[in-house]
Amino acid sequence: MKRRGIVKNPKGQMRVIEAIMAALIVVSAIVFLYAFAATPSGQTYEAGELEKIGHNILHDIDEQRLLSRFVYNGEWANLTAALIVSVPNDVYFNLTVYDVNGNSIGHPLIQYGSSQTFVSSKAVASVTYILSGYQSIYNPRVLVLKLVRV
Amino acid sequence: MKLVRERKGQFIIIAALLISIMILSISTIIYGTVTYFRQERWEEYVTIVDSVKTGSTNLLEISLARYSQTSNSTILRDYLNQWIRDVRKAYPGFGVDLGYTLASGVQSAYGLSLNYNLGLARTWNQTVSFSAANATFTIDIASVGLTGYSFSAHAFLKMNIRDAVWYSRASKQYVLIYVSVEKEALDPVINLQKSNFADVKLNGVSQSFSFRRYYSTTYGSFVYELRVNSVTSLPSSVEATLLDTRSIKTVSRSTTIRQDTS
Repeated sequence: MKRRGIVKNPKGQMRVIEAIMAALIVVSAIVFLYAFAATPSGQTYEAGELEKIGHNILHDIDEQRLLSRFVYNGEWANLTAALIVSVPNDVYFNLTVYDVNGNSIGHPLIQYGSSQTFVSSKAVASVTYILSGYQSIYNPRVLVLKLVRV
Repeated sequence: MKLVRERKGQFIIIAALLISIMILSISTIIYGTVTYFRQERWEEYVTIVDSVKTGSTNLLEISLARYSQTSNSTILRDYLNQWIRDVRKAYPGFGVDLGYTLASGVQSAYGLSLNYNLGLARTWNQTVSFSAANATFTIDIASVGLTGYSFSAHAFLKMNIRDAVWYSRASKQYVLIYVSVEKEALDPVINLQKSNFADVKLNGVSQSFSFRRYYSTTYGSFVYELRVNSVTSLPSSVEATLLDTRSIKTVSRSTTIRQDTS
């Protein structure tokens, strides 16, 4: 009799159904949030990290008064070596030097790693750094450092 | 009929709906707040600010080097105006706007009185001589809403003739000039070579000289010893011209020369 009473009590059944519906509503809200949360992609983070690395490297070399010397004296081999020792092992780079009008000044290839890596990689970071001149000569140069992690 | 009329149970549904709305609202606000700084490309802006800052400081040194070599007193202003245009060109689309204020009038710094004109000052041909440049910059980056980022830049070179002695021994007669060199923040400059001393003069006449550098306990500082040999009489003046590694020039002169016969 007691068992029959439980089964037949519609009030009790409704409580269960309501509880399930309530749980479903709350879970749906959480699932909705998770599904539509536009988290920045891994590539965005990666490019940001590489930009940070690139900027720190150029800034450090500049602070040591070496960057201007290398660029304005055409010490490209020294510049390449300084960059190679500064970047992490798994990061490739390519540096191009322009004048302020965006014309490349025509220097040897300053690169570490294969060119194909820069074409195929989805996360290529680019850092732009400006130099004002060297010694007593004002002659701005724009350095564009591209970085990619392999 | 009883199911339809039961009102108590609806409360759970309504409560769940309210909780869901709260979760959605609070999460949206928190998410937006937390990820705002992550999604902005701050590295790019930091790079621009740092690069322009370092470049502007270097430009001050370049201008001072030029001024000290050519006496062109408007060189800093001219270079800065050009620099502002070039920075805009180098970072198109960012809305980078660089402003500057050049130091003007008499200012006390480094234990000296510096009389700036268009951000440049120099006092030469004294026992303590110097060349100095001073400017304050502001950077605005319109694309990110950054305005009024301000910094000061200084370039300074000081040379002090600590002592000048004429040794008039029977065997050898020579002059020793002891100079100390300091830059910004009165940091001693200790990496100069003989080639940095462009000229050494006695009585206004250029001389060949030898060069030594060391820390002197007598003067309590790092000194450069400039030696001029075969000086047969007490000179009335000694003069040294210095071009440091940044090509900033200064000229010191002293008329106080001691005689040592021992």
